[in-house]
Amino acid sequence: MSSQYSGESMLEVYIFETSQNIEQLETVILSCEKTNGFTQEAVNEIFRMMHTIKGSSAMMLFNNISTLAHVMEDMFYFLREEKPQNIDDSALSDLVLGGVDFIKVELEKIKAGDTADGDATGQINAIKEFLDLLKQGNSVNAEKVMSTQADDNDHYYITPEVTDVHTGKNLFKANIFFEDGCEMENIRAYTVIHNIKDLSEEVFFIPEDILDNDNSIKYIREHGFTIYARTDKPYDEMNKFFMQTIFLKDLELVLLENDEELSRFTKPEPEKLRLESSPVKVPAVQVQGPQDYKELARANDHSSVQSIISVNVNKLDKLMDLMGEIVIAEAMVTQNPDLNGLKLDNFRKASNQLHKITGELQDMVMSIRMVPLSTTFHKMQRIIRDMSKKLNKEVELELTGEETEVDKNIIEHISDPLMHLVRNSLDHGIEAAADREASGKPRTGKITLEAKNAGSDVLIIVRDDGRGLNKEKILKKAVENNLFTKPQNEMTEKEIYNLIFLPGFSTKEAVSEFSGRGVGMDVVVKNIEAVGGSVSVDSVQGSGTSINLRIPLTLAIIDGMNISVGDSRYTIPITAIRESFRPNPKDLIEDPDGNEMIMVRGNCYPILRLHQFFRVNTNIMEFNKGILIMVEQDEKTTAIFADELLGQQQVVVKTLPNYIKNLKHISGLSGCTLLGDGNISLILDIAGLM
Amino acid sequence: MTKVLIVDDAAFMRMTIKAMLQKNGFEIAGEAENGSDGLKKYRECHPDIVTMDITMPEMDGLQGLREIKKFDPNAKVVMVSAMGQEKMVMEAIMSGAKTFIVKPFKEEHVIETLKKIVAI
Repeated sequence: MSSQYSGESMLEVYIFETSQNIEQLETVILSCEKTNGFTQEAVNEIFRMMHTIKGSSAMMLFNNISTLAHVMEDMFYFLREEKPQNIDDSALSDLVLGGVDFIKVELEKIKAGDTADGDATGQINAIKEFLDLLKQGNSVNAEKVMSTQADDNDHYYITPEVTDVHTGKNLFKANIFFEDGCEMENIRAYTVIHNIKDLSEEVFFIPEDILDNDNSIKYIREHGFTIYARTDKPYDEMNKFFMQTIFLKDLELVLLENDEELSRFTKPEPEKLRLESSPVKVPAVQVQGPQDYKELARANDHSSVQSIISVNVNKLDKLMDLMGEIVIAEAMVTQNPDLNGLKLDNFRKASNQLHKITGELQDMVMSIRMVPLSTTFHKMQRIIRDMSKKLNKEVELELTGEETEVDKNIIEHISDPLMHLVRNSLDHGIEAAADREASGKPRTGKITLEAKNAGSDVLIIVRDDGRGLNKEKILKKAVENNLFTKPQNEMTEKEIYNLIFLPGFSTKEAVSEFSGRGVGMDVVVKNIEAVGGSVSVDSVQGSGTSINLRIPLTLAIIDGMNISVGDSRYTIPITAIRESFRPNPKDLIEDPDGNEMIMVRGNCYPILRLHQFFRVNTNIMEFNKGILIMVEQDEKTTAIFADELLGQQQVVVKTLPNYIKNLKHISGLSGCTLLGDGNISLILDIAGLM
Repeated sequence: MTKVLIVDDAAFMRMTIKAMLQKNGFEIAGEAENGSDGLKKYRECHPDIVTMDITMPEMDGLQGLREIKKFDPNAKVVMVSAMGQEKMVMEAIMSGAKTFIVKPFKEEHVIETLKKIVAI
């Protein structure tokens, strides 16, 4: 554990840990809200997290965060200690979530390198007010007020049983000043008294009520803490004892000649106190019963088995990069052109072994980067909660398959689109409660977020039981904006629904706060396509809509088929390929516009000549000399024409360098990769080709 | 070199204390995330000093302190507290904690405190 965070700055750890706490906090609050009430356990947990945030933020001098966390900590301290009844849970969650949001914003600022200068006064006052109301409602502070208003006594004395026996013993008077800023001077004074009992049997001190009275701190700061101790120890030893005091700024120690000064302590009825017991009333300390020990043992077990560490994502990225390099290097060795024509049995054996191990290594590296979708899914709870409150709709969110894992990089890319889709469903899909009842549906709408594995992809489905898409409206809108790519009467229902993904499409007239600023679904599609995924929609009017996101498990390494066109190399993701063949000339069709097509088993598919698409020179122009590769994406199929197949290989996906991307807009390419022979191969983006 | 065991549930606080101590020639004997973990580490590495946070999950610092004291009555434990925890700190002192520091603490305060505790 000790080297776990080495190499990372304090700030990074602060941000990481605080964000984690905040996220967990949110989950706890939302689940409390759902189960109608803050359990003791939840209150404890929130208190603890607030305490941690307060402490860390104060160390980093983020005072606004620390102050806010402090008042929230106070509030939950009150809840924990006093267990008040009749709490307005909803108001409480709102308050805490408001605070959580504030801290989130500040954290973002800190992350971006800005100063965390937000003003939390509003939240702080609101929380204080809430706490005051709670206190009034539960009238518990009366006792406290009494105790703090106790009069300014500065004398205190402790006279053990042996009061009268002080002949032949020295009486010392010590006046102690603590260092500025050491805090809790009263407790420090108490520590001295606590420790002196080994040396002295009779002790008096000023101020007397060091622990009960808040003013005692002020007194100690201004006048110092005065102790009278009777002991048989010599001056040197007493001096040494006092000098050991932590945060000692100034010490004045004198040996008194007589008891004169003590006389003022001798009141008619001296209160006797044993030093072993505390001068203040302290809530009884929990005594550990056998059950606690069991728990303790379990905790011990737990910590010894605990084998999870956190690792900086950058390191994982680096590991992934290196893994990619190994895959390439392996291909460079085993497919080295120098080996052509040689009979190398042992070499083949060894290289097969290498291949096997790199394969396993790669699976392992991949699995490290896999993160369950649950965090992303749970974020939606909050959105649903806030939105349904504002829109006054009743909605519940159901999550299934949240344990499905996806590459960390991909998760980051789908969080925003998912949020957008959920908002859309709630805003546009789910009807108002009254409308729902009128159409015979349950009052509460339901949005389902589902994730499941499908081969090398993950399917994420956002489903609602709302009003469904309105075909007529979509068509009308499409006509207005001239969005058609083919005659309206030839379109299938699905194609019509898919029109909503086109740029600039938004049917809701009134733009609401949450969705529909005209940057609707096309942005979602763009984001999903950026990670190699695709989006489709299903809808039944009157009973709901579901939007399906298909996302690759990982971005980094794919199985690809390498092909060549002229001198260029291309790679097609294996998952997109249905078959490849050399066509029979009689199956080829050309329509009057010159579009080439091919008949395969009674179906007609368009042909895409890669050399034309990318304007590459090649000698192979006739279909019977090259090869056709049938590729499929989103239920569309195209035959790609290339010179020849080079072979199947795992390739490491690298993004196109920025200078190429910036130079010109290239469609149909999703990235590039390095082949074993050192050539660069361009990875085809099938959706972009069609 | 003085060996210190740092017990705190917040990685950030552990890191902060660790950095302060290492800069000033202390050796980090180990780190623990809660009281019971702290006791376990204490048994393993016999540190000269323990810095013990108070608010921690599973087993808090007070209990952790008591457990360590039970195991080694001479253990030197410094509580890491925050404003508002006066009562807990006092209990800790009664249970045998040597002293305490208050968050947010200054480096020189921490170092001075630990040096004095070692000297006792």
